[in-house]
Amino acid sequence: MAEESFLSDDFLRQLINVGEVDILVGFPTHNNAKTIGSIVRTIQSSILRCFPRERAVIINADGGSRDGTPELVTGVSIDDVRRASNLSALRTLHSISTQYATSPASGLALRTILTAADLLRAKACVVISPESAKIESDWLPKLLQPVYRDDCDLVTPTYRRHKFEGLLITNLVYPMVRALYGVRIREAYMSEFGFSGRLGSQFLGQNIWNDAADGEGVDLRFTLAAITGGSRVCQSFLGEKDHDERRGADLVPALRQTAGALFSALETDFPFWSGVSGSESVPTTGSDQQVFLEPVRVNRKRLKEMFSTGVLELESVFKSILSPSTLAELQRIAQSGEDEFRYSSELWAKTIYEFAASYQKSVISRDHIVQALAPLFRGRAFTFVTENRNASADDVENNIEGLCLEFERLKPYLLQIWKPRE
Amino acid sequence: MPLNQNALWYKDAIIYQVHVRTFHDSNGDGVGDFQGLEQKLGYLQELGISAIWLMPFFPSPLRDDGYDISDYNSIHASYGTLEDFRNFLNSAHDRGIRVIIEMVLNHTSDQHPWFQESRSSKDNPRRDWYVWSDTNTRYQGARIIFLDTEKSNWEWDPSSKSYYWHRFFSHQPDLNYDNPAVREQMWKVMEFWLEMGVDGFRLDAVPYLVERDGTNCENLPETHEILRELRRRLDEKFPGRMLLAEANQWPADLRPYFADGNEFHMAFHFPLMPRMFMGLKLEDRKPITEILQQTPEIPPSCQWCLFLRNHDELTLEMVTDMERDYMYDTYAGSKMMRLNLGIRRRLAPLLDNDRRRIELMNGMLMSLPGTPIIYYGDEIGMGDNISLGDRNGVRTPMQWTGGWNGGFSTSDPERLYAPLIQDPVYGYPAVNVLRQTESEHSLLHWMRRIVTVRRSIAAFGRGSIEFLYPASHRILAYVRQLGNETVLVVNNLSSTAQAVELDLRRYKGNILIEMFGKNIFPRVGDLPYLLTMGPYQFYWFRLRRI
Repeated sequence: MAEESFLSDDFLRQLINVGEVDILVGFPTHNNAKTIGSIVRTIQSSILRCFPRERAVIINADGGSRDGTPELVTGVSIDDVRRASNLSALRTLHSISTQYATSPASGLALRTILTAADLLRAKACVVISPESAKIESDWLPKLLQPVYRDDCDLVTPTYRRHKFEGLLITNLVYPMVRALYGVRIREAYMSEFGFSGRLGSQFLGQNIWNDAADGEGVDLRFTLAAITGGSRVCQSFLGEKDHDERRGADLVPALRQTAGALFSALETDFPFWSGVSGSESVPTTGSDQQVFLEPVRVNRKRLKEMFSTGVLELESVFKSILSPSTLAELQRIAQSGEDEFRYSSELWAKTIYEFAASYQKSVISRDHIVQALAPLFRGRAFTFVTENRNASADDVENNIEGLCLEFERLKPYLLQIWKPRE
Repeated sequence: MPLNQNALWYKDAIIYQVHVRTFHDSNGDGVGDFQGLEQKLGYLQELGISAIWLMPFFPSPLRDDGYDISDYNSIHASYGTLEDFRNFLNSAHDRGIRVIIEMVLNHTSDQHPWFQESRSSKDNPRRDWYVWSDTNTRYQGARIIFLDTEKSNWEWDPSSKSYYWHRFFSHQPDLNYDNPAVREQMWKVMEFWLEMGVDGFRLDAVPYLVERDGTNCENLPETHEILRELRRRLDEKFPGRMLLAEANQWPADLRPYFADGNEFHMAFHFPLMPRMFMGLKLEDRKPITEILQQTPEIPPSCQWCLFLRNHDELTLEMVTDMERDYMYDTYAGSKMMRLNLGIRRRLAPLLDNDRRRIELMNGMLMSLPGTPIIYYGDEIGMGDNISLGDRNGVRTPMQWTGGWNGGFSTSDPERLYAPLIQDPVYGYPAVNVLRQTESEHSLLHWMRRIVTVRRSIAAFGRGSIEFLYPASHRILAYVRQLGNETVLVVNNLSSTAQAVELDLRRYKGNILIEMFGKNIFPRVGDLPYLLTMGPYQFYWFRLRRI
């Protein structure tokens, strides 16, 4: 059950005034003044258009914005939206905001939203990232309808992405979740997703909130919890995701939220994933995945340099993490020139599995393990970009599929090196 | 009990709507009559109402429940005689109850002698008393009101080989108000009844009196001119009498019917009624506050008439398509419950016979700005019979006892003008006046109580209204104020208990006195005033500075 004391009195008062709802839309924000206004307007308009009879609330969990983001969320007038979209509303639509902390933490933000959903007994919820430069009006129904009308528990998104966008997803999260958990969820690490109140309450009740104070990677844990809990999961194609320009590109935090969260979950989920073999697709609404191919400039030279430097400088760390054969192979390719360099799917899968096992055994500080993955990921990214430089959309998909199959093939290796449970 | 002699008596009134046919049969012929109605005036006096609105009782072929009049100056033989009506009227006045009668100005029955003459030949002197045309293409901008039965507003008359105009059923030809003789004749009709002593008219279907090409033939300036002339003559010769408009229109379109206080005294607030039901089902005050915000100010001598149910369907003309769909889905699951653009059901069945919701709706009816109307039988929670055609399912005999014919008539049941409600929940053995009179906790007793409380304070009938907007949308709260009388009304539209904080700082120092139990609630201070409310509960508080 939710700990009510987690919420401020003021937020609790606002929730009391909202009362039970059918639909809850959550916005975890931090200094998103540039985009949040138009996103909230789009969502309000979608609620009026697609869910006019449902009791709905918009909840903003803010991590200490100083640019007026919460005021923008609560200040969007439903009357303006109605006039602009020529829609009428049957009900009152509440927009409320709370500051859960003075600095952003995705885990705390999600926890706030889940707690609100639990207290308001929301039937269907959706979380929307405020970092999208714009969202389409059909995102809300695409994420909510499967939950609200079709009794699905979790709706993960798929997007139309550039072939080199989201490399951490395509090269690590997707293949690993697929191989270990047996479910082909394309975006297990989600910035937009829909879920049932039932799943939200279950997740809220899990003993994960104290593990990491800021709850990094909690979105991914949420997906994994749905899978291991036997919830009905489906995917919905949202189209192109247009990111806010200022979106951070720092790799280490991203690795903490993805690889770190995944490694951490593997420990608790061992009874589940150790018994899974192969993988199954999940029901998907709309296109499965779309790749666009416009040429983009990628600094491959820098990727390669950072890989080689990392392998050299972190040798002692890698000795603790990797098997001698894997380390030797990495050292070998680090010596090769750009044209010959190739970080193969097999070597990448083995690397990740050895990192996962070392994380489990805590051979060194777990955070250091995750950080040490950064240069290696850059090497893998170099190879992926190189191999797919002139690839068609189908070729890219085939290459990703090949990588996934390699992860699935090598899964017994992970089981072999995994420390038996005491 | 003397009549309220105040010229604005209608603002303080509580009106009881009844059809003489439905109330009590004194002669055992199966049809209610004026002698029967007179016998039951004591019941109505005890209920506390101060005016009766009688539906049409004139001679009529009864193809539209009396709204198809064939003689304006007499009484339908089934209901008694003019003498019976006079006796009833005098008895009502003796009990302090005013009588408002129906007046159908717009049209007559096609059996009315005026129409018979009019259709007899194109040269007949009364030919121009109705609206005739050689084609059926004029006034195409006018909508068809009875969509379920009528395809056109024109009807071919084979005898005079012309089309005649009708806004309602084809057997109800519209009078031609462009003809001065018609206007004069209809005033004479009104004069006839006013001289007898009736206190007011509910003027039926007033937006449609005049037709003009290129318009929708509703609310035309010429119509307003005619109505103002009637009002002028009324005030001149019969001061203190009242005109009530039946105009199913949006508030802004209704406003002209009050003019500068020189057209109608009262008008029904049609758009509010469905929104009260909608607000209750949605558990959200929005539909109610929104429509009242859109309601324009009216002259001080004028008043809105509020109702929950009446003899017609719960009309959904004044709602959006989306709202209408919602109302159908939530209040009329069976298609049989739907008629035209509305729902033909009574109050109790609409509210699933939930006493709390019935009380809450009546609480709002009695406390929102306007004069409330109680539809006969709703005070005891009567049910309906949707298997009867048209709107007859909500016009069944009044249920007085659990005995023979529900105490309505001594006739053979087969001779009753309509069958009594007999189902196990709403049937007369279960729901009747006698049984509820004997039970202190019956709906009837509760209705008597709320009527008494409502009448105890003038602010409800004449006061201003100011909405409070507590953060919870499930709470509808407002302050009614007249002079130094202040009443706080708080309604919980939700099926669950609610905590609500009210900003009452401007009333700081006042104590709240709950008007039903007279209990004192804590004094208003600087902090938000916290109330906890049970499901569908409402409070009326009188504010007193002590």
